Amino acid sequence: MKKKSIGQFLSESREISLVVVLVILLVVIGIINPSFLSFTNIRQIFLNNTLTFLMALGMLCVMLTAGIDISITSTLAFAGMSIGLLQKYDVIHNTFLLFVIGMLIGIVCGFLNGLIISKGKVAPIICTMGFMYIWRGMAYVISNNNWASGMDVAGFSDFGKDGAPGPYIILVIAYIIFFIVMKWTRFGRKIYAVGSNTEAARVSGINVDRTLISVYTIMGFLAGLAGVLSVSIYASAQPNMQYGKEMDVIAACVIGGVSMSGGRGSVVGTFLGALIIAIISKALPMINVPNFWQNLIKGIIILAVVLLNVITQRTMERQNLLRREM
Amino acid sequence: MAGKSGREISAVPENGLKSKILSWEGALVLILIAVNILGVSISPNYTANNVFREMPRYLAETFMLFGMGYILVLGDIDISVGALVCLSGTIAVLASNAGAPFILTVLICLLVGLLGGMLNGIIATKFTELPTMIVTLGTQIIFRGIAEVLFETWGNGGGTASMADTKGLMLLAKRIGPFPIAFFCVIIVGAVMITILAKTTFGRKIYAIGSNKTAAYYAGIEVERIRFICYSILGLLAGVCALFLLTATFGSNTTTGQGFEMEVIAMCVFGGIATTGGKGNLIGGFIAAFIIVCLRIALGQRNINTQLILVIIGLMLIVSVLVPSISSALAARKKKRSA
Repeated sequence: MKKKSIGQFLSESREISLVVVLVILLVVIGIINPSFLSFTNIRQIFLNNTLTFLMALGMLCVMLTAGIDISITSTLAFAGMSIGLLQKYDVIHNTFLLFVIGMLIGIVCGFLNGLIISKGKVAPIICTMGFMYIWRGMAYVISNNNWASGMDVAGFSDFGKDGAPGPYIILVIAYIIFFIVMKWTRFGRKIYAVGSNTEAARVSGINVDRTLISVYTIMGFLAGLAGVLSVSIYASAQPNMQYGKEMDVIAACVIGGVSMSGGRGSVVGTFLGALIIAIISKALPMINVPNFWQNLIKGIIILAVVLLNVITQRTMERQNLLRREM
Repeated sequence: MAGKSGREISAVPENGLKSKILSWEGALVLILIAVNILGVSISPNYTANNVFREMPRYLAETFMLFGMGYILVLGDIDISVGALVCLSGTIAVLASNAGAPFILTVLICLLVGLLGGMLNGIIATKFTELPTMIVTLGTQIIFRGIAEVLFETWGNGGGTASMADTKGLMLLAKRIGPFPIAFFCVIIVGAVMITILAKTTFGRKIYAIGSNKTAAYYAGIEVERIRFICYSILGLLAGVCALFLLTATFGSNTTTGQGFEMEVIAMCVFGGIATTGGKGNLIGGFIAAFIIVCLRIALGQRNINTQLILVIIGLMLIVSVLVPSISSALAARKKKRSA
């Protein structure tokens, strides 16, 4: 085998280069403030970003089919608000039942997205934009601009309070399931097939419409679950919760190497992308950078990562061409 | 045909009044009339005078509609403009508070918008491999990030900045007869932008790029130059939007302009522009903008839960994009039955 240069090695696998970035980040932050690497702190990083971690999995599937879903945080708000109100008005207090209801709402929302996108031949961004407005509006309408406060959701919030194992267990299970499904099951490979070449997938006998519907339904399911978790973790439900955070989820996927044109991306990459975003937002205050620098730095990193990716790919192609000429 | 709306309601041949009414723009005009009738019937305060008085607050984002139309016809998308409105508004406020005269404040506001748009344009044209959605997602976070840093360093802190000297802005908020200045500006900007897109070679080139970029390139169209210009125009219009938003809010905060990008895209799509590029015109979007503005005012006056407007916008958006699929499915069924 020919020896590879470091640059080639790095640009070959997005995951490896992400791990390198991550290690550099951790080392630098760890040197400036060693307490960053403490167990409590790392635990909190995951807890604070559970929703992003969770929804990034669904967004990975959606983006693999060359789609996008910007309605997720609205679905989250609608599901979260619904179960918040169910508790506020003392209808249901059973944690398990509330989880089921939230997830069902998410599934219905996602299914509608999938149905309209696949059968109605509507561009994913437009369809999900429509539902982004509808579910967010519905969250306001059903709540009549009220909140469900910590008092209302007392008991239920025990599930996600700091130190409770619930959110972590859900995250770990979700990532294990998705890792297996995307890598080793027929369904997972179908998603990749549809994203890489829809026509070829159709000709080879894959039911493209059904795959699309299931992908958006999964996304909706995760968004609904995230809505329930959000109420539990933050111990409140407001109609404007997580507003605009869908872009964070998309950014996590993009940093993780998921291609917007479909067919490329992995669960590991998505995890690393989400982790990098989570670490940046948690680390800044701990290394004495005021919190209001957060978005600027995050934006620059996102842009730098995608631009660097393009540049390395270009140089690689040029080198390949040069080699061929000799 | 490129200039026509991307959406057809019926397969009537192109002649006469019937096809005009059955065109998408015709339907939008009817909806606009219906919304106004609804407004008059549900609220006694829904008079022309009141509507025009309340209009500027909602009208500001309409400016960006025209630029976004260009971008969508190109087949691109720009989701950074909401944040750009926040940034240019913020810098204008800070400049004014630092002692800049009003004219300079206005120029700074527009210039920041233009520069932001140019930045988008440069990245989008130099890195054509990247989907523009990712590029503008990055700049969106950066623009808002810069604004957030500015708030804390030079603003009033706590994520806000308010203008001390509002004399100049009051001037812009004046009305000529019943019409606010913003209304005239929207009409003028709209007329110019619609004409450029529909009647000039520049506009035709945009359609050509949107329909088939490679073919346009081989036909000798300077694809990347035109894309760059379109992004710059949209940026400039974001500056205009920020300016007119200031005449209503006299300051800016971290949530200024949040969600504007989606609303503007929604109006364009509702007006008949396809996000896949090369289809649609701005007239539909223009009418759609007024539909939403009138609906907002009517609902606001009745003190109906104003967020209900979100549900209505979403429903209108989805129904409008489903129309072509449904009508073609109906046509197919009809054909089958007659065969």
